[in-house]
Amino acid sequence: MRSIYMDYQSAKPVDPRVVEKMSPYFTEHFGNPSALHHVGDVATEALERGRETIAGFINADPDEIIFTSGATESNNMALIGYALRNKRKGNHIIISEIEHISIHNIAKYLTSIGFEISKVPVDQYGRVNPAKIERRIRDDTILISVGHASNEIGTIQRIQEIGELAEARGIAFHTDAVAAEGLVGIDVRRDRINLMSLSSNDIYGPRGLGVLYMQKRYRVNPIIIGGGQERGLRSGSENIPAIVGMSAAAEIAQREMKDETKRMMGHRDQLIEEILNTVPDSHLNGHPTERLASNAHFRFDGIEGEAILLSFKDRGIAVSTGSACSSKTLEPSHTLIATGLIHEEAHGSLQLTVGRFTTKDEVEEVLEAVPEIVTRLRELSPLYKSR
Amino acid sequence: MKSTKYSDKVLDHFRNPRNVGSLEGEDVASGRVGNPVCGDLMEVYIKVEDGRIVDAKFQTFGCGSAIATSSMTTEMVKGMTLEEAMKVTRADVAEELDGLPPIKMHCSNLAADALHEAIKNYMIEHGLAMEEDEEQTQIQTTEIKGKEEFIGKGISERATNFDDFRDLRVVVMFTGEESVETAIKLTEYTNRVVLITPKRKIAVSDELNRRLNDSSVKVITEGEILEAKGEGELEKLIVHNLDEDTTYELFVDALVTME
Repeated sequence: MRSIYMDYQSAKPVDPRVVEKMSPYFTEHFGNPSALHHVGDVATEALERGRETIAGFINADPDEIIFTSGATESNNMALIGYALRNKRKGNHIIISEIEHISIHNIAKYLTSIGFEISKVPVDQYGRVNPAKIERRIRDDTILISVGHASNEIGTIQRIQEIGELAEARGIAFHTDAVAAEGLVGIDVRRDRINLMSLSSNDIYGPRGLGVLYMQKRYRVNPIIIGGGQERGLRSGSENIPAIVGMSAAAEIAQREMKDETKRMMGHRDQLIEEILNTVPDSHLNGHPTERLASNAHFRFDGIEGEAILLSFKDRGIAVSTGSACSSKTLEPSHTLIATGLIHEEAHGSLQLTVGRFTTKDEVEEVLEAVPEIVTRLRELSPLYKSR
Repeated sequence: MKSTKYSDKVLDHFRNPRNVGSLEGEDVASGRVGNPVCGDLMEVYIKVEDGRIVDAKFQTFGCGSAIATSSMTTEMVKGMTLEEAMKVTRADVAEELDGLPPIKMHCSNLAADALHEAIKNYMIEHGLAMEEDEEQTQIQTTEIKGKEEFIGKGISERATNFDDFRDLRVVVMFTGEESVETAIKLTEYTNRVVLITPKRKIAVSDELNRRLNDSSVKVITEGEILEAKGEGELEKLIVHNLDEDTTYELFVDALVTME
């Protein structure tokens, strides 16, 4: 059976050009950058070149880049590391209601060790209103963390405005930019970002590598202790092949982003327009315009997301849903709930994310499947009485 | 185990559900369990002759296993006496399907319960059992905690200037025909209007009910607002789901109480 992949938000294939660049670093240039001989020197060179490339990708300085094992670790360092380092200044942290689940769980942990967390709500399109952040700022607020874009509904935040607000109030600003990287131009200077999490796979690099950008004069406590790599902030021998891969991926992203997002927007808009037109009682989740080029997110009255997902699976199409029934906890997506939906609506959601290798044929095949799947499931449903 | 790791039998019943639909007639009864708010809702219909179930149908809103267990339950009970069918358990249904992922054993396996409801209803309708006391449903009388704080900051008694509600998420409390009219009118100004009532349904004239159904107003039944929360203005409501006896958060911008 043919396989169509429309779940780029959950994982991306590594670009073959990236694999090619990485390959020699598994076998030929296998050295440890900490070693002082010539084999180690080759690795050190690759490491520092990688750091420069990633810095260029976000308009930072190379010594503001710390390599980690992934964005989850970067988020841990940014929130837990910063909170522990700065707890004498205060113990209050502000996050938004639609952060990635890792931020929510880190916040829970911080609460358990004595920090206070305030959550800023969003509007019905998933956008944070900076005025609502401002109302939550206290004398003991030390950190504000708002994701650059939602990994679920694709809504893009007014990052610069939030950065400027944090700067004016003397509070550190962290953003989890994983969903946005490669799709939105990121400039940490312009946007007044002090701490930022990135992932390698989200720009078609290998898994198992992430980055914490940390602006000079900002400090975090390390959360992994060991041999003192990454200036003591992140111990453990550096993952050189992955670093070479991520920097190759960043170079490609920087070079091709403009054309690529334009192509993806074409796919996205075709999905949104045709699904809303052909499927009755279907709705778009997220912002109508301020959304990632890759993201089309819907809900259909009267049916449930896991059943939708299984039906796509039967046709060889990989998609995603915010339904509780497909999650580990049986809780519906906190992001959809935060936009004001009730559980029943959150259950009926379908997330389609296109990517670098999506073709028009694939979009059309998905468009053919959607109304058939929705109609069949509605025929089984006691909730959907066609109007 | 992945929550979607289903047996071939479950997948077969999901792909080709048996006995979809409803039944009508004097010897028919139905049972409904679950609540759409928590993700699963099932209706099972049985047709009974001489104490035996001769036909069964279902309609289900839910995930793959919810659909498969409904389908399997209706298959299993055909030909059974009412007594035998009363003894069919969720575990029996799961076993017939070669098992379910552990996380799905409870929530998506309600079909046996719906079947038992249908049998009870049949017995009541045919004078074979006594009707249980129907709970009194009421309009909301509980005071909303924190309400005073947000009057004029998101909470109002009436929608006087509809323009103030443009593009907001508005909740209207059902207190009768006027509240329904208000909710419908608000949809001209915003695409997110919720009408909430602690009752099981919105009881208004047929004509108004039709207009409500045709509108984009989202109706929440069996929901009681416990508390209003926010930082300086209304941001969310804590709602008590009376059917499941659980509470959940409803993120909103405005509440019209219609008092």
